Amino acid sequence: MVMGTVDAVERISQLLGSDMEPTSNTSMRIPTALRDAAALAVRELGAAPSTTALTSAALRAALEAVIMQAILDDHYERHPAAKPDLGDLAIAAAELDGHPLAAEPERIRHAAAEISALHPAADPEAVLLWAEARAFRAP
Amino acid sequence: MNHLVLLDNEAVQALADPAHPKHPHVISHVQVIASRKRRAVPITVAIPTAVRVEAGWNRNSPVWAFLNRLRIADVPLDTSYANTAASIRGRTNVSIADAHIGGVIQAASADRITVITSDPADMRRVAMDKDITVVTI
Repeated sequence: MVMGTVDAVERISQLLGSDMEPTSNTSMRIPTALRDAAALAVRELGAAPSTTALTSAALRAALEAVIMQAILDDHYERHPAAKPDLGDLAIAAAELDGHPLAAEPERIRHAAAEISALHPAADPEAVLLWAEARAFRAP
Repeated sequence: MNHLVLLDNEAVQALADPAHPKHPHVISHVQVIASRKRRAVPITVAIPTAVRVEAGWNRNSPVWAFLNRLRIADVPLDTSYANTAASIRGRTNVSIADAHIGGVIQAASADRITVITSDPADMRRVAMDKDITVVTI
């Protein structure tokens, strides 16, 4: 059976929201070094109650991120005007973090325009760094 | 660093409606959160349930399907939050929903708390001495 993206997201959401008590043994092959690092993080750093709990939490977080992005992508397809550009994202990132440049959105937009001309795949955090550097150099 | 992002009623309305003038602004925040989650940054978006009531957000209604799918967690108004919220409301006379936001802020163990709101003054009042970041929409 082939599922559409929205149906798959819906089903994944249901599964993530369902009872997590029942467990299954699974024969997943993961890199040995990763397994050992996880065991060490649990034992020595208290990263989680067990490596199983650590793995499950990481898997849940990854799945939540994937479905969140899939839903947003679907939303942008339906409502193209809602899709934020790099400047919008950099301003939003600054606002979420209480970055001092959040009060200067035009400076951020200018930095976004500059950086995206050189690095089209730049992320909002890179824009903020660039804006910060430019602000530092400004008289 | 754990980051908790809370939405107020106006932020919910803006996020839910693509025609809302503040929709692009709030969707930008959600996109940044989604991108950070993909990079395994510990960040959570949550909504106190009293805010959800005020916003009319019924998780069983298909009208709210977009928000339901965005993995925005409920923070229920349980006994403990109700006590804190009642006390905040008594002191500040804010709405029940805003008092619940205050209760969540007071109890949160996150390293950073951000509230996306159209009413920054009330959010600062309910946060009291707790350090929060307020995003005004």
